Amino acid sequence: MSASRQAAASARSWTRRRAAKRERLEAVEPFASGRVLDAGRILDALQALLRPGDRVALEGDNQKQADFLAEALAGCDPKVVHDLHLLISSISLPEHLDVFERGVARRLDFAYAGPQSVRMAQLLADGKVEVGAIHTYVELYARMFVDLAPDVVLLCAEQADRDGNLYTGPGTEDTPTIAEAAAFRDGVVLVQVNELVDKVRRVDIPGDWVDLVVASPRPYALEPLFTRDPRQIGQVDILMAMLALRGVYERHGVTALNHGIGYDTAAIELILPTYGEELGLRGKICKHWTLNPHPTLIPAIESGWVESVHCFGGEPGTERYVAARPDVFFTGRDGSLRSNRVLCQLAGQYAVDMFIGSSLQIDASANSSTVTEGRLTGFGGAPNMGHDPHGRRHSSPAWLSLPAGEPPALRGRKLVVQITQTFRAGGTPAFVESLDAIQVGADTGMPIPPVMIYGADVSHVVTEEGVAYLYKASSLAERREALAAIAGATPVGRNLNERRVEALRRDGLVALPEDLRVDVRKAKRSLLAARSIEDLVTWSGGLYDPPAQFRTW
Amino acid sequence: MTSMTARASFIELDARARAFALLDGGTARELCGPFDRIESPWLEPQGVVPQSDDGVVVVRGKLAGRAVVVIGIEQAFQGGGIGEVSGVKIATALSLAARDSRAGVPTAAVLLLETGGVRLQEANLGLATVAEVCAALLELRPLQPVIGVIAGMLGCFGGMSIAAGLCTELIITSEGRLGLDGPQVIESEAGVAEFDASDHPLIWSIDGGAQRIRTGLADTLVPDDVAAIRAAVIEGLGRGVPADHRSGWIDSLGALLAAVDPTDPPEPADLPAIPSKGDER
Repeated sequence: MSASRQAAASARSWTRRRAAKRERLEAVEPFASGRVLDAGRILDALQALLRPGDRVALEGDNQKQADFLAEALAGCDPKVVHDLHLLISSISLPEHLDVFERGVARRLDFAYAGPQSVRMAQLLADGKVEVGAIHTYVELYARMFVDLAPDVVLLCAEQADRDGNLYTGPGTEDTPTIAEAAAFRDGVVLVQVNELVDKVRRVDIPGDWVDLVVASPRPYALEPLFTRDPRQIGQVDILMAMLALRGVYERHGVTALNHGIGYDTAAIELILPTYGEELGLRGKICKHWTLNPHPTLIPAIESGWVESVHCFGGEPGTERYVAARPDVFFTGRDGSLRSNRVLCQLAGQYAVDMFIGSSLQIDASANSSTVTEGRLTGFGGAPNMGHDPHGRRHSSPAWLSLPAGEPPALRGRKLVVQITQTFRAGGTPAFVESLDAIQVGADTGMPIPPVMIYGADVSHVVTEEGVAYLYKASSLAERREALAAIAGATPVGRNLNERRVEALRRDGLVALPEDLRVDVRKAKRSLLAARSIEDLVTWSGGLYDPPAQFRTW
Repeated sequence: MTSMTARASFIELDARARAFALLDGGTARELCGPFDRIESPWLEPQGVVPQSDDGVVVVRGKLAGRAVVVIGIEQAFQGGGIGEVSGVKIATALSLAARDSRAGVPTAAVLLLETGGVRLQEANLGLATVAEVCAALLELRPLQPVIGVIAGMLGCFGGMSIAAGLCTELIITSEGRLGLDGPQVIESEAGVAEFDASDHPLIWSIDGGAQRIRTGLADTLVPDDVAAIRAAVIEGLGRGVPADHRSGWIDSLGALLAAVDPTDPPEPADLPAIPSKGDER
C-alpha cells in the first residue's frame, strides 16, 4: 500500500455510526433517568433523538403494535423531524400512515398493510409516500441486516427492568430480530413497555441491546388474529376439510406442517379428533406444527394428535393453556410461550413438508393473490410459507412423494396447497381469468405484479369439487386443465368438458369425493370436535380464556 | 373428552329439528308445514324471497307422554322476525291448544324463541299478530303450562320478548339472550355511549341467560345439550300451572323499575342485588 493511501485511510473515521449514536443518546438525556424515558415527555424525547432522513424501524406486525411510540412519532413536528424512511412490517394503525400525511416520513418499506390497505393505496396515488418495496416479513428483516440498517428502532415489550432487560411475553414475534439489527450496528433501541419492574419474568432480550425504555400509559395493542370461531364454519368448509385430509394429508403422510388462518383450515384442525380418528390417522399425520397457538387446534392437542408446535407469535387468550402444555409448545423458564417469527418462518420453509392456506383469487395457472382492486395489502408471510424452497436438502416421505428435479439431480418437493371454495360470499368467483393483482401492480407502477403464491409452486388445490394434483401435470396446459376440473362453475372451470375430467381422474391428476371415498353426506357440523368457542374452553379444561369479542355467554 | 364429541348440541339445530328433538320419538307431526305453502304475501314485493313455512314451525306430539304443541321460530329466516303469517301460526296454535285443553285434551305448549321481534317488512301487521300471540298465550296459560326456551344464538328480543315474559316458565342457556330492545337497536337509537353493541361482555352481563336467571327474569339455566334441555322442559311441564305468573307481579316488578335511577344506572354485577320477585314470593 502506498504512503498516500495509508494516510487517507488513517484520516477516515470508522466510528461515525457510533459517534452519531452517542450524540443522539446525549440529546435525550434531559428526558431520561438512566435508560428510562419520561412517558410524559416522549414527544420531546423523540424529536431530540431523531434526525431528518433517519431510517426508523417501527414495530408493527400482524398482532402486536408499538402504538404509543407510533402515536408519538405521528405527533412530531415535521419542521424538526422530516423525511424519515420507515420500515414497518405490518401497517395496521392509522398513525402509521398519519406519519406520512403529516410529512414526518417520506419513504416506506413494508410487508403488509391489511387494515390500512385502502388508505395506503390512496396515499401512494397522492404521492405522499414513496414505497421502496413491498416485502415478505422475513425479507424486510433480512434487509435490515444488509442495505436497510435502521438508525433508530421503536419496539414494544411487556416488561423491562431498569437495566433494559426485556420480557416480551408470549408474543416475542419480531422484537429480538429488529433489536439485533440496530443494537449491533450502532442504532438506537427504544422500547415501550407495559410495565417497569425490578426483575423481569424472563429475559427475552438482554438489556445490553437496549438503550432506552419508556413505560407506556396503556398496554400495547394486540390483535387476536388467529382466533376462528367454530360457529362460522359451514358444511362446505367441512367437506373441503374431509377432502384435504384424505386426498392430501393421508395420501402423502404429512407429519410436519403449517396452516393458514382461514375457516377451511380451522375445519381441518377440528375434524382431526373425529373424522381423522375414524380413519385411524392419529400418530400418522399432523404431528409437528409451525403455527401460532390456534384455539381451534386445542381439541387435536387434547386428543393426543400433536407432538410439537413452534409459534410465530402468541394469541391472546391462549396464555394459560399454552403454559400448561410445555411438552407441546416452546415455553421459557417462567412457563410462558416463547415465539419467534423469523425462526418459525425458517422452520416453515425448511423443516415442514406442507403449507396449506386459502387465497382471495386464483387464476387459471394457479397463481394466487389477496390483492384486489383499490387495496394495497402486501404479502405478510404467506409467500415464504407457500413456496418450494430449493435450498432444502433433507428428505422425508411426504417430501419425496412429490418427485421433482431433472435426472440425475432428482429431489422431492414441498406440498404447497391452496384450499378455497369455488365461490366466495356474495357469489364472487375465487377462480378468475386474470388476478386483480396484475392490474393493481401495473396501475401503481410496481416492478413485478404482487402475486402472493406462484402457480408453479402450488402442488395441490382443494375445492368443494375435489382435489387437483397439479404437481403431477406434465405441462402448463395439463396443470390448467386439472385446476379447471375442480373450479366448478367459475370462469376458469365452466369450459372443461366431462370427458377430459374423466381422463384427468383416470390419470390421477384430479380426484373427486367418490375417488377419495369421502362420503359427502357426512360433511355436517356435528363432525367438528368443537362447534363453538365455549366448546374450545371446555376442551381446554377451562385454560383457554377467549378475548371478549369472542365470548357469547 | 369423548363427551365433547358425543354431545348433541341444541343450538346447532334449526327450528324444525329442535321441535322434533324435544318430542317423544315417533309422536311428532308438523302442522301447517312447508308443503302447505302458506307464505307471507308481503316479502316478495319487497325483494325478499319468502319461505314456505314463513319461518315458524308448529309440531304436535307427546313429551314424556303428555300432549304438547312445540312452536319454533327459525332464526335463520329473516332473523326470526315475526310477520302476519308466522305470527298467526303461533297465535292459532296456542288458541287451539287452549280449545283442546278445555275440551278435555290437556295440551301444553313449548315456545322456541329465537327472534329479533316484529319483521320490519310487515311492520303493523306483525305488531298486531304479536298482540294476538300474547292474547292466545294468556288464554292457554291458566289451563296448561307454556314453557319458553331461549337457546341461542339469536336470543329473544322485541315484541316476542313480551310473549317470553308471559310464559309460565323460561328456560335459557348461557348463550341465550332476552331483552326488549336488542343491543343494536339501543345503539342506533340512543348512541354508542348508551350501549356499545360490539361489547360482548356488556351485552351478556345484561341480556345474557345467566344474568337473566340471577335477576329472576328467567327460571332454569341449561347447557347447550338436547338431553338437558328436553329434561328441563319436561320438569317445567311437570310443575303445571302456578298459582300466579311472573307477569302478574306488578308491584314487585314496578319496584324493580323504581329502584333503578336511569341517570346513574347500576353496574350489571349489582343488578341481581336489587330486590326482586324472591322477596315477594
